[in-house]
Amino acid sequence: MFAEEEVVKSHKGRSDILFTLIAGCFSLIFFRLWYLQIYQGDMLYQYSIKNRLRKETVRAPRGMIFSRNNQLMVHNIPRFDAIIIPQYLTNRKQTIPKLANILSMKESDVKKILKKYRGQARYRPVRIKKNISKKEVAIIETENEKMPGVQVETFISREYADKEVGGHVLGYISEISQTQLPKYRKRDHVDYKLGDFIGQDGIEEKFDKNLRGEDGYQFMEVDARGRMKRIISSNNLFAGIENKVAKPGNNVRLTIDRDLQLTAFKALEGKVGSAVAVDVQTGEVLAMVSRPSFDPAQFSKGLTAEYWSSLVNNEFNPLRNRAVQDHYPPGSTFKVFTAITVLEEGLIKPDEELSCGPTFRLGRRTYHDWKKSGHGKTDVYKSIKRSVDVYYYKLATQFDIDTLASYARKFGLGSKTQITLPREIPGLIPTKEWKKKRFGEEWQLGENLTSAIGQSFLLTTPLQLAMSYATIANGGTLYRPQVVKEIFTNSGEVVESMEPEIVSKAEVSEATLKAVKIGMNQVVNEEKGTAWWYRGRGIRMAGKTGTAQVISMSSKELFSKCEEKPYKSRHHGLFAAFAPYENPRIAVAVVVEHGCHGSSAAAPVARDIITTYMKKYEKEAHARYEKEDNEKARAYWRKLQEKRRKAKEKKEQEG
Amino acid sequence: MNFDNIKELLKRYDFSFFGLSLVIFIFGIINLYSATHTSANMHHANLYKVQIGWYLISLFVGFAISFVQPKNYFRFAWFVYAFNVFLLVLVLFLGHEGMGARRWLLLGPFRVQPSELMKLSVIFVLARWFRKRSPDQELGLKQLVFPFIIAFIPTILIVLEPDLGTGLLILLIFFTMAFFRKLKWKSLGILAIVGIISGGLMYQFGLKNYQKRRILTFINPTADAKGSGYNAIQSKIAIGSGKFLGKGLMKSSQASLNYLPENHTDFVFSIFNEEHGFFGSILLIGLYLFLFYRFVWLSVNVSRIFDSIVIIGVMSIFFWHTFINMGMVMGLLPVVGLPLPLMSYGGSSLLTFGICCGIATSISNSRNMF
Repeated sequence: MFAEEEVVKSHKGRSDILFTLIAGCFSLIFFRLWYLQIYQGDMLYQYSIKNRLRKETVRAPRGMIFSRNNQLMVHNIPRFDAIIIPQYLTNRKQTIPKLANILSMKESDVKKILKKYRGQARYRPVRIKKNISKKEVAIIETENEKMPGVQVETFISREYADKEVGGHVLGYISEISQTQLPKYRKRDHVDYKLGDFIGQDGIEEKFDKNLRGEDGYQFMEVDARGRMKRIISSNNLFAGIENKVAKPGNNVRLTIDRDLQLTAFKALEGKVGSAVAVDVQTGEVLAMVSRPSFDPAQFSKGLTAEYWSSLVNNEFNPLRNRAVQDHYPPGSTFKVFTAITVLEEGLIKPDEELSCGPTFRLGRRTYHDWKKSGHGKTDVYKSIKRSVDVYYYKLATQFDIDTLASYARKFGLGSKTQITLPREIPGLIPTKEWKKKRFGEEWQLGENLTSAIGQSFLLTTPLQLAMSYATIANGGTLYRPQVVKEIFTNSGEVVESMEPEIVSKAEVSEATLKAVKIGMNQVVNEEKGTAWWYRGRGIRMAGKTGTAQVISMSSKELFSKCEEKPYKSRHHGLFAAFAPYENPRIAVAVVVEHGCHGSSAAAPVARDIITTYMKKYEKEAHARYEKEDNEKARAYWRKLQEKRRKAKEKKEQEG
Repeated sequence: MNFDNIKELLKRYDFSFFGLSLVIFIFGIINLYSATHTSANMHHANLYKVQIGWYLISLFVGFAISFVQPKNYFRFAWFVYAFNVFLLVLVLFLGHEGMGARRWLLLGPFRVQPSELMKLSVIFVLARWFRKRSPDQELGLKQLVFPFIIAFIPTILIVLEPDLGTGLLILLIFFTMAFFRKLKWKSLGILAIVGIISGGLMYQFGLKNYQKRRILTFINPTADAKGSGYNAIQSKIAIGSGKFLGKGLMKSSQASLNYLPENHTDFVFSIFNEEHGFFGSILLIGLYLFLFYRFVWLSVNVSRIFDSIVIIGVMSIFFWHTFINMGMVMGLLPVVGLPLPLMSYGGSSLLTFGICCGIATSISNSRNMF
């Protein structure tokens, strides 16, 4: 026993070495820990934060759009989507059929949608059905506990107060498309992502930058499988990580008047065409409608296939804003500019009369007047009042087409108005050079004649027409048309205010403008004026009708009844006017495609718009004019009755 | 046994092993709770309860063993060894497969891992052999041949399962014991050279692909950061991000967010480091070191050479597990699936270390009892 204890003791040396080795091993561990935790600690700490944080975008609420009188035209309303968060979808087998049943969808469709988004992070919602009804929301909310992973997500949708009215001006928003993404990123220097909503037309497009605001972001903690654990709101543990609050978009106040807009839209009911009303003194657009139209709200709600195809397959292309994206031959509405040209160039004096028969011959060709019997002796007033073609044929041989073009351009025709609406087209005022370039042919004198009455190559947009008439009305100042009055924040602070912008001054003598205006007044307010029957009461508009030939016709065809022609070859009806005559405030242009007559198709639209305007903004003048007009009308009726009575008496006497 | 006897017994009873292991276990169970309580998996979230249960069982078994007279270890050494080798052979043919390896025997509801028990069996046989061969002499290579065979048979059987980690562990235990039993320095040098050469040969011809990959990953973990290097990198991030004082209890992001897949078994130490930092880890390492010191102190304060060698063997089981696990999680050693004693989740591991404490206590108690 004793010896064995000695033997044990003799191992003391080895046991000491062993413990030293153990201590050595642990000091290795010690230094390694020091290296990782103290020396590399800060770096690895950062890694561990990056590991677990993910940045999620918080969408900024889009700005609202108001009318000039602060009526809300476009705002945001919540929309409800049924979503599934795959992370919480624990009871797949029972939940999916149940949800499909509630949403009246096929089970396989739900599965298909889930499968499509399988690649994304599991905490991210998968949208099963957009825009579900309140009833569906209620059912899902009550059945919530039995369907883990199914939720209702509130989503901000764009609401347009007047639906289809003015859809073209307001535009719409929709999800940015794959092809637009790189293009818009470059254009706006904004890092758009798929799923972002972006303005695609009208104000929504052009003022997207103001309306969209700035998206914020929110950091959240995720686990190794990308499941969300919590939202990080405090920054104490995560130095340098800051959430950014979304900055709401700015609001836009339009120059558009909602009542005028509604009137214009209603007046164009059942027609294809557009109407534009502008403020004569500022160039502000008061109304702009185009028909057929579309409901912009459908786009942000998530367009249904049926609605989309109904838009795309409509031969009248409801998506196009005819007021700026379409142009038409101005027809006789152009005659006022020809009149200005001939008067300014001294080719004729205002009261100088020309004898105007039914036709005018140039070389071997015969040019017809719209009136088969001709108009007889005609001065410039009558030429406008009665829209005498031959008067202009006669004078057209005496000027150069480039001269006519230069006058037309002074009133803004033939070039873009620079309105802040997308895809505006410039229209066309032909010159000799243009024709040479376009067709490689010389200008023909005959084309002077047709140009003088607003046919041949001439094309104007309804907006241009309205602006040019406004320029006549205000004495020669061409404004840039504006649709936005100001941009302001939610707290009411004005960010940007648009002032009237003068494009140019038309250097035309007052006498000339006065002569033309007298003619235009006679068109509406004198018997036998082409728009006499549509003069309205209390508005005193002065204007010009136009009936634009769509296709070339023989004289026989020309005089056949327009309404009997096939739709596509009927004339466009145009009417442009300003009001009131003595103190012009508003200018209106109306185009009704294939409306046959400027007077019957287009003039009533302008009358309705102007009537609404007068009642709202020029109450006093309207009341005064209305009284006078009523008296005049009564006198007219009395006269008519007198005449009839006399005729009757005469008949009786004879009898 | 009257009251005085019990009092006498308690006076002589060495509580240091169970006491230290309990302290470490308390660290471990808190850490385990912290690592798993947020888990969405209910099974994982309840692991700490299971672990406490296992600990109570192992405490009971260890406590029972602490009353066994050490001479019985001597007596039954060969029998236990032979039986254990038989079990290892049985495993190779009838074992239950799990995770690509055949390591378990199914006994009714229990899964027994004979390789766990083998660590202890080998110690008894080796101690018995070393005691017999002139214990006052230094050991040369010749005297090492037979004990090497004793150690090598189970090693081979375990490596075939395959469980390379445990296999190598048995060899390490053998060498630790041989070193304590005064292995000549010269022989040690020769063995080291042979070890290096055979290690190289084994890597070339004997290793499976996943094992090779672990070693390559150890050399350059970033080469396959999302694949085989993932654990090593995430573990280092977890440890480093703890800095000096750690993120605080239950504040581990790497663990609670499942960046470390095996956070309740092999990688508990990383979580501990992340939450308690350098300071906490030094404390824990201190506890382990103190435990080992107790073993080493005891080894030269017993009266029988057999007991002395058994203590060193038991200590070496403890030590190598601790060192290899810690070294592995902090990127000092390749990833080998060895648990951290008393910290990692696992019933058989707890049981083994409970038995180890029981053996040490029984030997410690016996030295005052003759």
